[in-house]
Amino acid sequence: MAIEDFAFLIPLLPALAFVVTFFFGKKMYSGGALIPIGAIALSCIISILITINLLQNPEEVVHQSIHWFAILNLGILIDPLAAVMLSMVTFVSLLIHIYALGYMSHDPGKARYFAETALFTAAMLGVILSDNILQLFICWELVGLCSYLLIGFWYQKPSAAAAAKKAFLTTRVGDVMFLTGIIVLFSGIFKIYNGNLPEGVYVLQFSEMFNLIPQLSAMHTTILGFEVSQLTIITLLFFGGAVGKSGQFPLHVWLPDAMEGPTTVSALIHAATMVTAGVYLVARTFPMFMGAPDALIVVAYVGGFTALFASTMGIVMNDIKRVLAFSTISQLGYMMLGLGMGAVVGMEAVGVSMFHLINHAFFKALLFLCAGSVIHSVGTQDMRQMGGVGKIMPITFITMLVASLALAGFGIPGTSIGTSGFFSKDAIIETTYLFAEHTGNYIPYIFGIVAALLTSTYIFRLLFMTFTGKPRTNYGGHESPSVMTVPLSILAVFALIFGVLTQTKFYHFLEVTFENSFVHVNIEHLAELGNYDLVHNPGHEPLFILWLPVIVGVAGLVISYLIYYKKVVDMSTIVSRNNPVYKLLYNRYYQHQIFIELIALKITYGLSLIGEFIDRKIIDGIIDGISDGTIAIGETIRKVQTGVVQSYATAVIAGVGLLIILLKLIVEVQ
Amino acid sequence: MISMPIVSLMILVPLIGAVLTLFSKIKEQTRIIALVSSLAPLVGALYMIMNFDSSTPAMQFVESFDWVPSLGILYKVGVDGIALPLVLLAAIVVPATIIYSWGEDKQPNQFFALILALEAGVMGVFTSLDFFLFYIFWELTLIPMYFLISIWGGPRKDYAAIKFFIYTHVASLVMLLGIFALYFAAWAQSGIPSFDIPYLLEQFQFLENTVLRDSIFLALLFGFLVKMPAVPFHTWLPDAHVEAPTAGSVLLAAVLLKMGGYGLFRVMLPMLPFTGSPKLMISILAFIGVLSILYGAMLALAQTDLKKMVAYSSISHMGYVTLGAAALVPLSVSGAMFQQFSHGLITCLLFMSCGAIQHIAGTRVIADLGGLAQKMPKLTVLMLFGFMASLGLPGLSGFVAEFMVLTFSYLTLPGYVLLALLGIVVTAGYHLWAMQRSMFGVLNEKLGHLHDITNYETISMGILALLVLYFGLNPSPVLDMMTTNAEQIVSLMALAGV
Repeated sequence: MAIEDFAFLIPLLPALAFVVTFFFGKKMYSGGALIPIGAIALSCIISILITINLLQNPEEVVHQSIHWFAILNLGILIDPLAAVMLSMVTFVSLLIHIYALGYMSHDPGKARYFAETALFTAAMLGVILSDNILQLFICWELVGLCSYLLIGFWYQKPSAAAAAKKAFLTTRVGDVMFLTGIIVLFSGIFKIYNGNLPEGVYVLQFSEMFNLIPQLSAMHTTILGFEVSQLTIITLLFFGGAVGKSGQFPLHVWLPDAMEGPTTVSALIHAATMVTAGVYLVARTFPMFMGAPDALIVVAYVGGFTALFASTMGIVMNDIKRVLAFSTISQLGYMMLGLGMGAVVGMEAVGVSMFHLINHAFFKALLFLCAGSVIHSVGTQDMRQMGGVGKIMPITFITMLVASLALAGFGIPGTSIGTSGFFSKDAIIETTYLFAEHTGNYIPYIFGIVAALLTSTYIFRLLFMTFTGKPRTNYGGHESPSVMTVPLSILAVFALIFGVLTQTKFYHFLEVTFENSFVHVNIEHLAELGNYDLVHNPGHEPLFILWLPVIVGVAGLVISYLIYYKKVVDMSTIVSRNNPVYKLLYNRYYQHQIFIELIALKITYGLSLIGEFIDRKIIDGIIDGISDGTIAIGETIRKVQTGVVQSYATAVIAGVGLLIILLKLIVEVQ
Repeated sequence: MISMPIVSLMILVPLIGAVLTLFSKIKEQTRIIALVSSLAPLVGALYMIMNFDSSTPAMQFVESFDWVPSLGILYKVGVDGIALPLVLLAAIVVPATIIYSWGEDKQPNQFFALILALEAGVMGVFTSLDFFLFYIFWELTLIPMYFLISIWGGPRKDYAAIKFFIYTHVASLVMLLGIFALYFAAWAQSGIPSFDIPYLLEQFQFLENTVLRDSIFLALLFGFLVKMPAVPFHTWLPDAHVEAPTAGSVLLAAVLLKMGGYGLFRVMLPMLPFTGSPKLMISILAFIGVLSILYGAMLALAQTDLKKMVAYSSISHMGYVTLGAAALVPLSVSGAMFQQFSHGLITCLLFMSCGAIQHIAGTRVIADLGGLAQKMPKLTVLMLFGFMASLGLPGLSGFVAEFMVLTFSYLTLPGYVLLALLGIVVTAGYHLWAMQRSMFGVLNEKLGHLHDITNYETISMGILALLVLYFGLNPSPVLDMMTTNAEQIVSLMALAGV
């Protein structure tokens, strides 16, 4: 039996682990944690074997499909794109699960915890290997459900319950756009076939969808006076879904609050099982984006802006996990920015962006688990109360240092020496430079470079504030147990060397994705539809451009060193309630006030109260008025009639009699 | 093989069960009789599902006898793809309600007897093929519900019961006028008196007077829309729900409302192409559908009583039925039918949850609750499951229905669908907000001693939850037969040249 025959087990095993742990976990060792760990380990092995097989035989794409209902199917598609995602998600999720054995050991609800994280993993795996857009959406929503359950894991905390709701609702806004995209897509396909969908073909499968790109791009609708192609509308709506799930501006507001769950949940959400789904969606449907240049530009701008915007907030947060949350938003912005560069580099944009996604997964999971290790030991999330933690937690410190270097993208250009983030983030920035060279538009490049400076600044600020200097409060604490530090070390190794090992191979592997799995996708033709030239030879940039990202990275380190280690500048003068810039950043540009208080509470709830008034006073008022009137008439009639039943019967008979006479008249007139 | 009058038995057994229950004096005996006589229709429904031919829109398991030949009244019952899923729904919901109400102490014999009488009436409505018979059963369902509210209801039960009765009764009378008008017009036209529904629907096409046709259509439509209920004819529903006992609410929302939707598919849609202005009628229906979806969702957000919120959510969800029906695309119509079936199952879970909270915590006012999850883990899981199903989580039955309605209605009514999509976020909003304030957060100490739901409640809600999951993953067993009939309904549009 070939390994592909076991592909369906990849999401199924964690799903079964959910069922078993949910119902029986309480009676088992450590809340039944070993069941999800075993299941995910098996899924991981299958995924890696399939990936290795694909590396050797790129044409052996796994594709299986069965009929579901009506005109829909359920299916599995594992091409290189899905394979690397599957391997990463199962691997990172496995390490986080093992780590959670230690981290959650004292929590009374750990059976529920492990059940839900298993489902979370299963749902994400479902997103990755769906062969059609509807199934992807279904799993996408399950991911949302699991995030709701896990962010609100400590449901007795009001803030956790509120954060869970906020996460679900904000991503739901994106989900509705995604769903609308599917609906518009379907109606487009329906029109292309003139209402006669071919028998036995599932039109929502990716391969079928991609075949229809030219026709979809030729269909135009006029919106507000602009003529827009159907394809642009669909891709923008899909991107709307991705904006919600991947925390892009302006739907990123849920992500910083999502810290209310256990830190391991944050690690899952930020690295493996949730926020990357949005980036993956764009990558999965990338041929459609290629045919819709306007949509790609929107992706680039939203991504670039988010990268910069989030990093500005990262530098003023005092909660260690919040800094990391803004970091994730910012890094996801980079990935979107990379995808948006498809306008000049074509399919390579998928490779560049996915490479960063995978690297980011390693170092971001590591950052969160390190933060968790610190929080677990020190008992606070506020960095102002830490300081000097490095002395008591050396392993945590070193691994977090490695992760920070990777995030800041340290390495030596022109050689193969560098952290994983160096290879992938710099690749994205280089692509934006190519874009700038090609189109004369330097805005995405500037977004990328400035965000890189801020990234390095906030992450080293975090390191200096947490691990160096003297303890600022009287916390106890010790290094975490090995069940936690071993996963940290493994992740640290990946964060350090994954880039070196895979950089060239990775792009090549992903580039063949759409060529092998969808034979009909013609990149050149898509580029023509999108009306741009593809730049095929990156890597000829001037030396300055290659070095600049590293230089700003070092600059960020130096700035943080001077301020937070050497204390050259007295922060208390800057960090004051009176500094308007600080206030603006610290209050996160007042998004909370705008989103929650204005839109959700004032407008929506206000409208619903108006509706309630209309319902009670006007509609019901009319009904009561009619009934009062009727009762008044009834009172009069009652003087004539003896009882209700008789009057009712009489009325019916009289009515029927009248009707007969009426009908007779009508018939006779005719 | 001698064919059993299976449909008639499904009406008769609950009726006999009701009489037996009424006269049994011992509580334990009462509820067992009730459960057994409600399980009989379930067996019958499952038997019919298994032996049903989904490939034809024709009536199956038909029984027909002359009743009043001189007036053309028949006793004629049977099922097709429109009726059978609803028969199954009623056959599932009633035993589940009886199990849920296992501990009922207040006059249990009357209580269970009324539930069974209601079941008989509902079965009759869904299977009657004669308009006269249909109307009798239609009215028969009103009386048990009236008593369920007025005897076992809350503080304002008298007001609610009488409002429910008069409101829906007025609607029934308007519908009756429509039925009679159709009957006499067809009689005058063909010279044959008949209440046979398919025959009358056919005769309707040939009525020459447009005003008459439109009046008949609107009269019947009014009767069905009030029952569903569609905005703006909905205000009886929240009051009835708030005062009704849990079992009454469950049956009202899960089964009685479905009679309105059933009328749309059985009577209104076949007539619609032959009205004076089908386009206008479609617009009216689509508008009412979208209005119900959005208005119901917004109003649900404003509610302070958990049960009232669920009542408004019913109005919102029934809007999908109207919208999908109005779109007249085969899969939108079958999606709307599936929404009826699915909502019937889901809403049971919601009302049962509200009932349990009322029973255990003593209040349903959301602001007075809080942190119940800490004391009621089982209820929390089942309630959250129901809420998720209600807000349209994929993998559960509600999503299948709403996805089908939205996707396929978009083909003919794109503007309306885009509006309806706005409701999805609000729907998620009121569900999660209510969940947050009632179940999560800090436990409200004023609630006193709390315990989790009983095993009977857990079992009945658990079964319903499993069914919601099952039909969400595998809708085909009921959806296929719905689609067959939906295709036939839509083909009438072409026949009429619309």
